[in-house]
Amino acid sequence: MQNPFEGAKGFAVTLGQIFRKPITQQYPEYKRPVYPRFRGRHRLHRHENGLEKCVGCSLCAAACPSDCIRVVAAENSPGNRVSPGERYARIYEINLSRCIFCGYCELACPFDAITLGNEFELSEYSRDDLIYTKDMLLRPPTKTMPVADRDLYDTPDPVWKRES
Amino acid sequence: MSAPPEQVTITIDDRSVSVPKGTGLVESALQAGIEIPVFCYEPRLGPPLGACRMCLVEIEGLPKLQAACTLSAQDGMVVRTSATSAQAADGQEGVLEFILLNHPLDCPDCDKGGECPLQDLTLRYGPGTSRMVVQKRTFDKPIPISPLIALDRERCILCYRCTRFSEQVAEDGQLVALNRGASSIIATFEDEPYRAHFSGNVIDLCPVGALTSTVYRFRARPWEIQNVPTVCAMCPVGCNVWATTREGKVARVLARNHPEVDGGWLCDKGRFAHDHLRAADRLTEPIRRIRMRGLVAVPWEEALDAADEGLRAAGASVCVAFSGGETVEQADALSRLVRQGLGADVALLPDDPDPALDAFRAPLAAIRSANVCLVVGDEPVLERAPIVDLWLRAARRGGAEVVTVGPAGAIAAPPGSAAAICAALAASSPPEELRELARDLREADRVALVWSGDDDTGGRHLAGLAAALELGEGSGAYFLPRTPNGRGVAQAWRAAGDGRGIDPSGDEALGALIVSGDEALRDTRVVALADRARFVLTTAMFMNEAAGQSHVILPGTGYLERDGTVVNLEGRSQRLRRTVEPPGWDELAFFAQLARRFGVDVDPWTRAGVDELAALPARSGTAPVVAAPAARGPQRAAGAGGDFELVRYRALFSGAAVERVPQLAFQRPAAEVELPGGDASRLHIATGERVVLRSGEVSRELAARVNRRLAPGVARVAEEHADGLADSVRIEKA
Repeated sequence: MQNPFEGAKGFAVTLGQIFRKPITQQYPEYKRPVYPRFRGRHRLHRHENGLEKCVGCSLCAAACPSDCIRVVAAENSPGNRVSPGERYARIYEINLSRCIFCGYCELACPFDAITLGNEFELSEYSRDDLIYTKDMLLRPPTKTMPVADRDLYDTPDPVWKRES
Repeated sequence: MSAPPEQVTITIDDRSVSVPKGTGLVESALQAGIEIPVFCYEPRLGPPLGACRMCLVEIEGLPKLQAACTLSAQDGMVVRTSATSAQAADGQEGVLEFILLNHPLDCPDCDKGGECPLQDLTLRYGPGTSRMVVQKRTFDKPIPISPLIALDRERCILCYRCTRFSEQVAEDGQLVALNRGASSIIATFEDEPYRAHFSGNVIDLCPVGALTSTVYRFRARPWEIQNVPTVCAMCPVGCNVWATTREGKVARVLARNHPEVDGGWLCDKGRFAHDHLRAADRLTEPIRRIRMRGLVAVPWEEALDAADEGLRAAGASVCVAFSGGETVEQADALSRLVRQGLGADVALLPDDPDPALDAFRAPLAAIRSANVCLVVGDEPVLERAPIVDLWLRAARRGGAEVVTVGPAGAIAAPPGSAAAICAALAASSPPEELRELARDLREADRVALVWSGDDDTGGRHLAGLAAALELGEGSGAYFLPRTPNGRGVAQAWRAAGDGRGIDPSGDEALGALIVSGDEALRDTRVVALADRARFVLTTAMFMNEAAGQSHVILPGTGYLERDGTVVNLEGRSQRLRRTVEPPGWDELAFFAQLARRFGVDVDPWTRAGVDELAALPARSGTAPVVAAPAARGPQRAAGAGGDFELVRYRALFSGAAVERVPQLAFQRPAAEVELPGGDASRLHIATGERVVLRSGEVSRELAARVNRRLAPGVARVAEEHADGLADSVRIEKA
């Protein structure tokens, strides 16, 4: 036979919660800071002199497990110098509808030209719009995401960097 | 036959292996399943050099490490590679560190990155880090040593593979190593462009990214490509190639070593001309001539209807002009349409190799081991079947007697006399000039006969000579057709019906003319026929004046877009594989559909065509019967005044494909006329001077080039510069 007080105990828990502060976050209005090493939308970077860091070597495309990067390289000419090396990426496209945000491209890149940013709001009305071109990736993101305190979560200096 | 060579037993890394005496250590190790890494070693380039020292091994009894590539196996030798010897491993690591001292680490930039022996071997045998702290040696880069090849001297590790190729294989001697020691660089003489028929091979040979192709430059990386094994159908040799594709387009063509056909070499036309597939003026849609509207692009079905209608109206008065580049299957479909469907029996074959030649087939590699090689004909072998020229050079290096008989030969003969020379050599008492040669040919163990003439009956005469010499094992007769698949097309045409009639000379009206391919469109005989035809159906990749006269034009396909069989000059059937998709239907599909409308069932798919055709070798004892022409001994044509007999040759770097690759423009024949030394000095003409060639009303101004090997009274011009000139011309200074 059931204890008649069991039900009351359960409601007591519910009643107790009513007076607590809710932990639900109202997402579109409130954006919870992402971890510093959160992997969101990719960014391509430039050197300080304005040249693209990417030389179009396709190593990111080789490392990509979902095969979502397409690079078509071309040769720099004195009239059109895009990157410091001999070659540059004439076309650099990432199909973000296919990307799994594993970050292997970032690891593969010999020039730190591609990194994964912290932007995660990537929904579009059309699949085609999810193919990010080089211009889109080079531009600083239009939306900025709050990032949690780097010192709290991130290793300040990776071990491999300290030893080399 | 010589006795099998003596076997010796050596021990490599505690594994015992028995190899024929004289085998190199690298090959011996490979037999034992052990790899000795190499950079400079390449047996096809002649004797080993030992330049890179990558192959260092420890050999018992010798105090220092030895370069394995320079040693051959001796009985009882005990060899330790880096796998078992710390000393050898240390040596190889040191060698790699030394090679990498000045080698830039721009692998992400470098086209070789990903398929680079230096990368691979460094990963396996090299040091993990560099101790080099000072600035590396720098050069200007890239230096275009020709419009096709870019040289990066920073990356060069001085293995001398390229210069050895240039000196010892192609024998053009244009690529050299300048300076000494640390300042050695690879260069061309006086910074002239590297202009040679085989220059592209140095790109394949380079073990680093120092020599790269400008056509392939930055087009793809090794992990993004698919390599399709196919056959080059640009000339009758049929070199085996890899066609590299990326994103559905051909990015480059590489040699695929077939030791019997090409020995791993490939000429520049085969290597670089593939870009014509993407030419801007390529036809992609069928075109039909419509009254009052001219040429209009139409759908394929409408083109099929128009072709059907036009051929039906022509009845049996149909002629088909082949270009010799078709696959056997295409030629078969077209032949059966014309012979079985339309009941016509007239074709213009670009070549007509005699079936009697089948009795004297031999692989091209047999030329290298021949004792005597005979080349007859007016056309330079290099221009018609370039790889054959490499085999002849290899034979000459090996001590063979290579005799050319012709207007530019060691034994001078008037133009067009090749058939007579074959007959004279086959006769029991040859004329004075040929007597010594005839004796050598009869006495030699192994003979290679090469026909490079322009006479349609050449195959018969070559076979007659071969039969008279009673060629045995190791000898061969090679008829060089003008077109890549001339032999296969002729076979297909013969097989599709009986008897053959070729009469392009008449002037009666023709019901319909089918022109198959761009090469046929350039044939003046075909253009003359087109004028007489009421209906002209053309397949062509590119538009030209002759194509513009057609009533229906179908976009043609290139050889890389076809599946099928081609028969090379040896008579070897090889499989062509579709590398990229053609822009529309291919010819086989179209003609199969058309044939079906005429009640002929042609398979529109290529199915194991190779099996149906005879493979090498097909030696049967049947000696062909040859009606010898009147034996006309080589006579010296006396060049009276400024009168010359004009010899035209079809340059390798000519044709619709080459014209559409801008990088190959420098390889095309210069506007020159070659003049014999004696006549040139009599007329006071020096190399480089402008001369005028006149015949009747036509005159052409060209630069003169004195060629001392040319027979007196003979002038030689590339076909594309001899337009409209008659066979006899008057030459004088401009």
